[in-house]
Amino acid sequence: MFDLKVIVEEVRGFCDMPMTPGDYFEVKGGRIYIPEGKYICLWALQSMMPFLPLKQRSIAEENDWVPYTKRICCPDPNGQVIYRIETIDPVTQRIVEKEETEKSDIMPRIIVDGEKCSGCRACETACSFEHTGSFCGENSRIRIEKNEIEGKDIPFVCRQCGNALCIQACPTSALSKDDKTKAIIVDDKSCIGCKACASACPFNSIHFHHDTGKALICNLCGGDPVCVRRCPVESISFGSRVR
Amino acid sequence: MSLGYCRKALRVDLTNQKIMTEDLSPEFLNGYLGGRGLNMKRLYDEVPPGVDPLGPDNKLFIGVGPLTGTLFPGSARVNFSAKSPQTGILGDSNAGGFFGPELKFAGFDQVIIEGASPRPVYLYIKNGKAELRSAEHLLGRDVFATQEGIIEELGDTRVQVACIGPAAENGVRYAGVFCNLVRAAARTGMGTVMASKNLKAIAVRGTMDLKAADPIKFMQIINKVDKDIASHVEYQTRLLLGTTKLVHALNEAGCLATRHFQTGRFEDAELVSGELLAESYKKKSKGCFACTIPCSRFFEITDGKYKGLKSEGPEFEGLAGFSSRVGVSDLGAALKGVDLCNRYGMDVISTSECISFAMELFERGIIATSDTDGLELKWGNSEAVLELIEKIAYRKGFGDVLADGVVKAATHIGKDSEKYAMHVKGLELFQADPRGLKGYALGVAVATRGGDHLRSEPSFEFYEDPEEGIRRFGVPEAAFRLEYKGKGKVVKFYEERAALADCLNVCKNTLVNMEILSFKEAAEILNAVTGMEFNEEMLQKSCERILNLERAYIIREGIRRKDDNLPERFLKEPLPKECGPSQGSIVELESMLDEYYLEHNWDKETGIPLRAKLIDLGLHEVVKDLEERGILSERFTL
Repeated sequence: MFDLKVIVEEVRGFCDMPMTPGDYFEVKGGRIYIPEGKYICLWALQSMMPFLPLKQRSIAEENDWVPYTKRICCPDPNGQVIYRIETIDPVTQRIVEKEETEKSDIMPRIIVDGEKCSGCRACETACSFEHTGSFCGENSRIRIEKNEIEGKDIPFVCRQCGNALCIQACPTSALSKDDKTKAIIVDDKSCIGCKACASACPFNSIHFHHDTGKALICNLCGGDPVCVRRCPVESISFGSRVR
Repeated sequence: MSLGYCRKALRVDLTNQKIMTEDLSPEFLNGYLGGRGLNMKRLYDEVPPGVDPLGPDNKLFIGVGPLTGTLFPGSARVNFSAKSPQTGILGDSNAGGFFGPELKFAGFDQVIIEGASPRPVYLYIKNGKAELRSAEHLLGRDVFATQEGIIEELGDTRVQVACIGPAAENGVRYAGVFCNLVRAAARTGMGTVMASKNLKAIAVRGTMDLKAADPIKFMQIINKVDKDIASHVEYQTRLLLGTTKLVHALNEAGCLATRHFQTGRFEDAELVSGELLAESYKKKSKGCFACTIPCSRFFEITDGKYKGLKSEGPEFEGLAGFSSRVGVSDLGAALKGVDLCNRYGMDVISTSECISFAMELFERGIIATSDTDGLELKWGNSEAVLELIEKIAYRKGFGDVLADGVVKAATHIGKDSEKYAMHVKGLELFQADPRGLKGYALGVAVATRGGDHLRSEPSFEFYEDPEEGIRRFGVPEAAFRLEYKGKGKVVKFYEERAALADCLNVCKNTLVNMEILSFKEAAEILNAVTGMEFNEEMLQKSCERILNLERAYIIREGIRRKDDNLPERFLKEPLPKECGPSQGSIVELESMLDEYYLEHNWDKETGIPLRAKLIDLGLHEVVKDLEERGILSERFTL
């Protein structure tokens, strides 16, 4: 029987626990271990409970009753906390890779890795230039928050939430989802620049054009984001999965 | 909206606390391109001989280029220029980071600071306007605390700050202007000038549009430049190590400044190398604005005495300056030395020269602990090095002697110590031994801001390809670092490329060392951005014009051929045995100088530009000025 380590891999929505990437618990035999001082979301845990004994089994069977169990999404539609379940050999404590088909029906979006970001703001400049013709990052839909003393550079960009709070908050229905890319689209004609969407966004990822005052939300450049192409350190990528 | 150029300068009269804006004419921009060029023209015109570098008549010019703030990789630089309090001649230094682009977004190509403020102030520039704000509460703060204080006060994390630290306030003559904490315009004492004007910092914030006249053409050229960079043979190394690769590389070549240039090989180089730093304390790569080849790094020391120290940097000059140059084999101590210089706001090159100079004197018995406040200045004594950095910054005890630079320190100490002072024209030399790099040796000897390598960086001499040497510079020797022939041509060529980089305000790693962007491509991209009409010949000529203007400026200040020299050691003492391929090398400067003056069309005996040359470059006013001062005599009449 394997041990398990269940790790919060990504928070795509808004989790009010809050669970944060890197949080984990372990399953050893019949016991659940939570690191001292940490906790686990009851609702996420109860929803993944049935899978844990299954993942502990050390035989790979064909026609498994749940073939894709490496990642589990929290049932809260606003939360979208993604848990990754790792199977661990109890003797060697090494991760055991079980054969599993990777499959995802999540639409690709911009995925951020702040640990890698060099803070150069090429993404901002490229975004602004592509969409407004101006190099000034003030009109960019992606923003780098920098703390130079701590060496922290964190890209903020729309996460294209499934259950987007910004769309719900917009009083003029100016926001919608693109049929093809599922990216959030701003209808400049309807947008009144009231900032309700920005207040609703849990990720500080909505900005406003400094001249027109209209909302600036990442539209994924129609499926080939220029910021991703411009990033020299692969801190931002376009895809469905966290690497 | 601006197309490449904002066509505006901000003039700040600190004495009268007046702020004005000036329009920049197309002729001025065409003729002097940007950053360094614009500043040099102003320096020549507005700061005549006799001005006290630390008096109110000196002016500080801050300039950016037509590509600054665009997507062009590494187009982040900003030039700070004034008459130098360190050398008494031309002062000019540039920094990367985010300050330059922000200045463009705020609507200015240039800022002119004149006079001196009656009270400590900082300048806040925002979207075409500016105000002077009290800096009383910032006095005495180090660079980090100053930036933090200003950002907090203005309540905007996107404000970019260029500031000075305590070293400048205390009158250390090699204090720099620091942008984004560690991005230093460190050379020639521009921070000291700022302090003399009672100006603690410049904060800038801009949200104005900066566009390209022909965005499609612009992106075409950018795509080509991206490819050239990514496929360049040095791409991976530069991405991984940046300039810190040079500790190992120059040590292998036998010309890494070691124990104050007593040898070119440091036995512990691998303990302080860029490679080791990348493997140990480096946390991630860091880059300047919009750079596709981020060569800096953020590090955190995880063990030993300096555990917990974290910062961005260092570059090669700081790393070698506080390791091989002072005989220190502790990477942590070297990083701490650089960090102290950054916080106090001092130039790492000049600081490390002053300290290693004192160490050599100490080791030779010329000075003793009675002179050094009890510090045992023995090679490798890292604690003494770090203590001395602080003493210099606060001008305490022996630090006060070193705070005026190595020339004045040698004069103060006497006892024939001048021959150990490693400087040219009063500016301390870098961390490579000129004996092993003849082209660099020439470049450093003639550089218009004094002993400095960044005015030319003739990296071609590392190519070791005789056919390329013939093709590009007419002789095979040009491609070999230990050869002399052709170096006059090589240095002139690279001086022009360096001038181009400094005027477009693009990083020299790409534009000079990797030779990305030909003059032709530069003209094309300038046209695409500005909508003006540049061509290859014009650009090349503008770069030459700027070089000649700079030369004329230092000639006017009294510089002649005799000053285009190197410290005696490099001319007379051969590099010792352990220096491998460089062993036995000295520099035979005179023949290279002859070739160099000939290439420039300058007078061989005096080093003064010939009248015909100045006229050909359109520098009529300079000719008139030099004539009136009796510098251009009949001898030069055509």
